[in-house]
Amino acid sequence: MSAAADTVGTGVGGWLGYVGGTLAAIPGQYMAALRRHRARTIGLTIVFLAVVLYPVIGHYVLSEFSRNVFPLPYPDDTVATFMTIFAIMAIGLNIVAGFAGLLDLGYVAFYAIGAYTAAFLASPHFGALGINLTFLGHVGPGAVGIHLPYWIIVIVAVAVVATFGALLGAPTLRLRGDYLAIVTLGFGEIVPLFFKNLSSVTFSLNLGPINIQLQNQNWTGGVQGINPIDPPYLPGFDVIFDARSGALAVYLGLFMLGIAILVARNLEHSRIGRAWGAIREDETAAEMMGVNTVRTKLLAFALGASFAGVAGSFQASYLGASTSDFFSFSISILVLIMVILGGIGNIWGAVFGAFALTYVDKTLLPYIGQRIGDVAPSLPNPAQYNFLIFGVILVVMMRFRPQGFLPSRQREAELTVSGLQDAEAELGIPVEVDNVSIAPHGQSEIGQGARDAETTDEARDL
Amino acid sequence: MDQLIQVLIIGLANGLIFALVALGYTLVYGIIELINFAHGDVFMLGSMLAFFLVAPASSGGWAVFPIDEGMAFPLKVAEILAVLAICMAMTALLNVTIERVAYRPLRNAPKLAPLISAIGMSYVLQNIGLVWGGAYQRTIDSVFPATNMLEPFGITAIVVTPAQLFVAVVTIPLLIALTLFVNRTRQGRAMRATAQDPDTAGLMGVDVNRTIAITFLIGGGLAGAAGVAQLLYNNYTVYTLGFRFGLNSFTAAVLGGIGNLQGAVLGALVIGEVNALSDRYLSPNWTQAIVFGVLIAILVFRPTGLLGQQLADRA
Amino acid sequence: MSMLELPADIDTGAMHDSALLVKSRAVTKRFGGLLAVNNVDFDIPRGSIVSLIGPNGAGKTTFFNMITGYYVPTSGDITFDGHRIVTMKGKKAKSLKPHEVTALGIGRTFQNIRLFGTMSALDNVKVGINVHLKSHWWDSVVRTPSMLREEKKTIEECMGLLKLVELDRRAETWARNLPDGDQRRLEIARALATRPKLLLLDEPTAGMNSSETRQMTDFIQRLRGDLGLTVLLIEHDMRVVMGISDRVTVLDHGEVIAEGAPAEVRANPRVIEAYLGRGAAEA
Repeated sequence: MSAAADTVGTGVGGWLGYVGGTLAAIPGQYMAALRRHRARTIGLTIVFLAVVLYPVIGHYVLSEFSRNVFPLPYPDDTVATFMTIFAIMAIGLNIVAGFAGLLDLGYVAFYAIGAYTAAFLASPHFGALGINLTFLGHVGPGAVGIHLPYWIIVIVAVAVVATFGALLGAPTLRLRGDYLAIVTLGFGEIVPLFFKNLSSVTFSLNLGPINIQLQNQNWTGGVQGINPIDPPYLPGFDVIFDARSGALAVYLGLFMLGIAILVARNLEHSRIGRAWGAIREDETAAEMMGVNTVRTKLLAFALGASFAGVAGSFQASYLGASTSDFFSFSISILVLIMVILGGIGNIWGAVFGAFALTYVDKTLLPYIGQRIGDVAPSLPNPAQYNFLIFGVILVVMMRFRPQGFLPSRQREAELTVSGLQDAEAELGIPVEVDNVSIAPHGQSEIGQGARDAETTDEARDL
Repeated sequence: MDQLIQVLIIGLANGLIFALVALGYTLVYGIIELINFAHGDVFMLGSMLAFFLVAPASSGGWAVFPIDEGMAFPLKVAEILAVLAICMAMTALLNVTIERVAYRPLRNAPKLAPLISAIGMSYVLQNIGLVWGGAYQRTIDSVFPATNMLEPFGITAIVVTPAQLFVAVVTIPLLIALTLFVNRTRQGRAMRATAQDPDTAGLMGVDVNRTIAITFLIGGGLAGAAGVAQLLYNNYTVYTLGFRFGLNSFTAAVLGGIGNLQGAVLGALVIGEVNALSDRYLSPNWTQAIVFGVLIAILVFRPTGLLGQQLADRA
Repeated sequence: MSMLELPADIDTGAMHDSALLVKSRAVTKRFGGLLAVNNVDFDIPRGSIVSLIGPNGAGKTTFFNMITGYYVPTSGDITFDGHRIVTMKGKKAKSLKPHEVTALGIGRTFQNIRLFGTMSALDNVKVGINVHLKSHWWDSVVRTPSMLREEKKTIEECMGLLKLVELDRRAETWARNLPDGDQRRLEIARALATRPKLLLLDEPTAGMNSSETRQMTDFIQRLRGDLGLTVLLIEHDMRVVMGISDRVTVLDHGEVIAEGAPAEVRANPRVIEAYLGRGAAEA
């Protein structure tokens, strides 16, 4: 970063130069990394290639492999797509809970709002209310309802969900950690209830000039939800990304996941990321050091939620349907477990947790259940009891490994090494490395939200 | 008017059941400042055990203490007392075990760690209920006659059923006993001291671990009694019951001022009425949203609840 | 918010308002029934080192917290560099928010060190400079040139501050892994990063041995000399207080019991009594 910053110009040209310079520097950095940490770099390269080439490998190599060599099922394209969807959500929740230390137990609300944004803007649903609008949508002429292209919907969903994130976050700003968790849980329950119940709205208001009469209007599709929703469509290539399009949807998911990782990383390493960290570590001290805590927390809620907007709108468009039952409290907890499993506060941990847990939930457990069913049909099917396993994971992780499997400590140490070299090059002074052995910090990171508590007693000895 | 009173009576009966569960939340929060997320599921397992003890084999139960509407009164009382004793013992021990396994090791961890552990434990218990009772609602035939207790007094417009009387007879003595225990006994004093300041209480010779375990024991026992009352009054149980009842009861505890025993009971009665009124006059679809709305509004605008905090001033 | 609105009742100090960086009048803070600070008038001349001393519970830190906007006084006025931090609106005092006060130019440290433990020393200092940064979150997302330049300047300025407190070699170390003395200096660097005019130090030498204390004293004097800062100090170590203060104010039970040059204050019988108890003054 700093190397490129030396030569940065101004305006759009300068930005393009910076981006170009950064991209051009990648091969050099890669070779340097290969020299410095050979085994690790090669390992990461293999993981990266495996992810990118997954659909090909999945179809032609992994299926053979899993049939013959190592009898574990490989995730099919639908599961792979959901892996990317959940990874995007886990990254978003990690911003709220990991970076800023605000435990959000109602994250599913934003997922639901994102999904219903797509459902409203790309389905025949509103045709029944006499609202018809087609703009660049991939539908035939004379289609009923609203049909906007997916690419616009994603942007709208991000804006809508970010707004709701700030709105729902605002009342929680003064609350201590556990109260904040419960209030967000409440919002997470109420929002899907609205989508479920607003299927027969009867409303009458007559105040002179204002005369509103609604008779049994179906706003949200109720229990049945809304379908069909237009799938994502890429016009130039005439490509549709839906559940029938196989690997293509996985690539769309990976593309959005890549952007999500980049955005989250850029936020983390910026003044807003540092302000989040300060609030997480010690909210009072942060405020005293000039951090506008209200604004910073609202930004965490809004930006964190916007990732769920992307995930939700993609999921609804991909599946072609959106139902309120899908958005239960369990989803909030599932995403939270993903973040905790990977290592709270770490973007790559969140991605890892999402991939692993989605695989276990949607591929491994059904597979084991099927196997058990073949052998002993009377035994319970583990896929039905997935949350028993997830519950055990939470309890065990809290007790034995609260910092997760990819704790940000390791990443911090890595950052230290490369960051040091940057600093040395830039400042011309030697810098010491001595924070590789650190007390487990995952515990404190999880607890940071709790430090929101400011009793008078605590404040007095400030 | 009669209809409104009838709705309020229904709300009162459910509110008393909420009160027993709410006390478990408020006791635990008062003493270790933990929202014991799994508490509702302890209650659910209590009602599940009651179902298996009471239900006849034809509906999948063990029929250990089969209770039916027509049986002799003394025998019915004896069997209900036996079911209460067994269920309360089971949930009390379960609650203590949960504390030992999932919360005590995290006593010195950051505050959100036990909360997350409690959420995990809630899912574990819920799935135990699922394995045990199946994914569907388990129902029993009403064990009380559908007569009106007010009829002998010449009132027919308002109905109070024996089942409702039963709820009052089970819950009110327990509420009184708990108040006396906390306020009058040595162990109750230890609880209040620990709630005020566990470190100082420890230095003053209070066995803090034991006191916390006893708090969980009592909370669990009350949840077990509530489970029995739920089964015999509403005649059903299901593995998801804990989440719904838990949130109602937790809201009740917060409404009354978490940590405050009388407040929890008052809050539970209010929440019971809110449920009944919303079910009757709005729509059952919105009841849960309204309860959540109440919960959010209190936490945001008046986190000390109606009566303020009492057991723990630290909260 | 301007100089024109300064309170007119200048009867305590001989100095003109423009020579005062902080001017507080009749500041009172109650916690329930406890009167923590009672009707305190307190001025800090520009460029001075002023110490606030007094027995435990005298209200020193409470006063600190009111200057920084953390506590809203029950009543009173506080003006800083021509800006009103606390004003009376009817019967209630209104205060700026802490981050607004910080932006005006007051930096502080804490009695019991409050660094951001799992952030690097450099990041801790960078948080201090946050209030002066202009880039928005969307600049960070797309890495605009202006944001990158600002970031580069931030690193330079913060490394400069770390060098000032001799922690530049520990820039990438987590704050919580630094020894105590380093943490105290890091806190000062973080406070300096807010580009303060007034630096509030809450017991900067607590827990230090005599040579460390001497170094800290020299350092504080250098801050005033080299950076032109005004310093308000809460300190228990009387050698430090008497050694570097231009003025000393003594609080006891929330009230000012003495004020003046160190030597005057030291000789004041009320001060001796407050510190050593009744009887000591006569003895």
